[in-house]
Amino acid sequence: MEQAAPNSAPRSSLPGPYPVGSYAAQLKRRLQEFAHIQLVGEVWGFRAARARVYFELRDAHGALPCSMWRTDFDQLGVPLADGLRVVAGGGCDYYPGSATSSPSFSFVVTELRLEGEGDLLVQLQRLRRKLHDEGLFERQKQLALPALPRTIGVVTGEQGKARDDVLAGLRRRGWAGRLVWAFAPVQDRHAAPRIAAALRELAAIAEVEVVIVARGGGSLADLFAFCDEGLCRTVALLRVPVISSVGHHTDRTLIDDVAAISCSTPTHAAQAAVAIDCGAARAELTALARRLNGHGRGAVVSRARVLAQLARAPSAHVARNRRTLHQLTRELRASARRTALRGVELGRVHGLVLSRSSARALGPERIRRGRELERLALALAAHDPQRTLARGYALVADRDGAPLTSAAAARDAGHVALRFHDGSVRADIDPDDAREHDPSAPPVAGPDDDR
Amino acid sequence: MNDDRTYESAVGRIEEIIRRLDSGDAGLRETLDLVAEGRELVEYCAAELDAVSKGLDELKLDELVTRLQGAQRSDDHV
Repeated sequence: MEQAAPNSAPRSSLPGPYPVGSYAAQLKRRLQEFAHIQLVGEVWGFRAARARVYFELRDAHGALPCSMWRTDFDQLGVPLADGLRVVAGGGCDYYPGSATSSPSFSFVVTELRLEGEGDLLVQLQRLRRKLHDEGLFERQKQLALPALPRTIGVVTGEQGKARDDVLAGLRRRGWAGRLVWAFAPVQDRHAAPRIAAALRELAAIAEVEVVIVARGGGSLADLFAFCDEGLCRTVALLRVPVISSVGHHTDRTLIDDVAAISCSTPTHAAQAAVAIDCGAARAELTALARRLNGHGRGAVVSRARVLAQLARAPSAHVARNRRTLHQLTRELRASARRTALRGVELGRVHGLVLSRSSARALGPERIRRGRELERLALALAAHDPQRTLARGYALVADRDGAPLTSAAAARDAGHVALRFHDGSVRADIDPDDAREHDPSAPPVAGPDDDR
Repeated sequence: MNDDRTYESAVGRIEEIIRRLDSGDAGLRETLDLVAEGRELVEYCAAELDAVSKGLDELKLDELVTRLQGAQRSDDHV
């Protein structure tokens, strides 16, 4: 250790003097070397600062200032209060201070539990396993929980806040039935048998359909009455479902395991006891009733409508056919009118077209026909006997003018008329004519025959 | 009335009936029967709701037990 400068004061047999800061630092190191241990004592002067919590641990023979990091303390969830006996684990520490701050010693706590809690937890686990193995956790869960009980039993402390919470939960559900309060101590060593007795009495009342067991928060030691084996067996064998709400689920008591339902708060327990919201249920029921009525009415009305339609069907059929017939008649008349008009129009158009086409065709045709007529006239003129007569031939005819085309006919006629191109003369046939049968003799009537 | 009937079972049956009616598969006779059954169930449920809507009736167990024991004794005398 660093030694301070000597002065002229009377000499001491003790070592030093040393600077206090060095000594304080040495002391801090030495204290930190102390073994970490558990201490048991009562809590006094508990106060929580922002970073740490502080308290003293006392017993009849001494005390130690203790501190604990606030975050560690909050995580433990141990509700500390003056007078509580706790087991604190940790080690010594020393703050050496400075020129402007005071030094301090504290036992720095890293573990903290209520005294006896560890023993309680061991007991609790052992009992939990035992009841579970006997199947007592399942008994209550097999009971039917009514959604809308008319009568509810409640076991709770008469003065506790749990009572108000239960009422608040029931109000939220709009439930206003019969509530049977069974007040019992909920904390001391007499609590468990009293609670069990209350439960049995409530279950003996036929109207009670569900029972709530409620208690506010507390340490496990406070709630240990609800881990009582006798109480848990009573609950497990009860005929009515039990809803437990003991503590706030930081510690799970055995009654929570045995009960039909366990809730975190008495309010929730009340809401679990009445599963439905009565106001909403009434509205829903009204809606269902309305739908039912609608179906009932609809089933009859729709069928009546179908029947009415069927009854009207024949007359409607006739009327429909009559309308169709009238329509067809109208269409037929209209069609006839349209056809007649179209015929007239077509005739008019044809007349017009014909007149125009005949007008176009008449000119050349007339010329062609004139020429044809002239050709025929020429052909006819070529065969005119008058022209033959003009060339020196004569036509022999009998008295009646009929042509005589043979010599025998001329002989038979006796008297003939010779017609020349400029007139006729009469002649008598010689009866002795010898050349009667000589066809090679030249004809009497003409000198040259060009035919 | 069916002794096993509860509010929730009655509501469940009404919903079942409504589903059947909504399907449109029920004939006239079945529809009328279902509607009648449904109406009866609605009346039951309404009565159950009425029973827990009349106003909170708070009793203490001790008083109730005393009252019940008194009633039992008078019955025994009769």
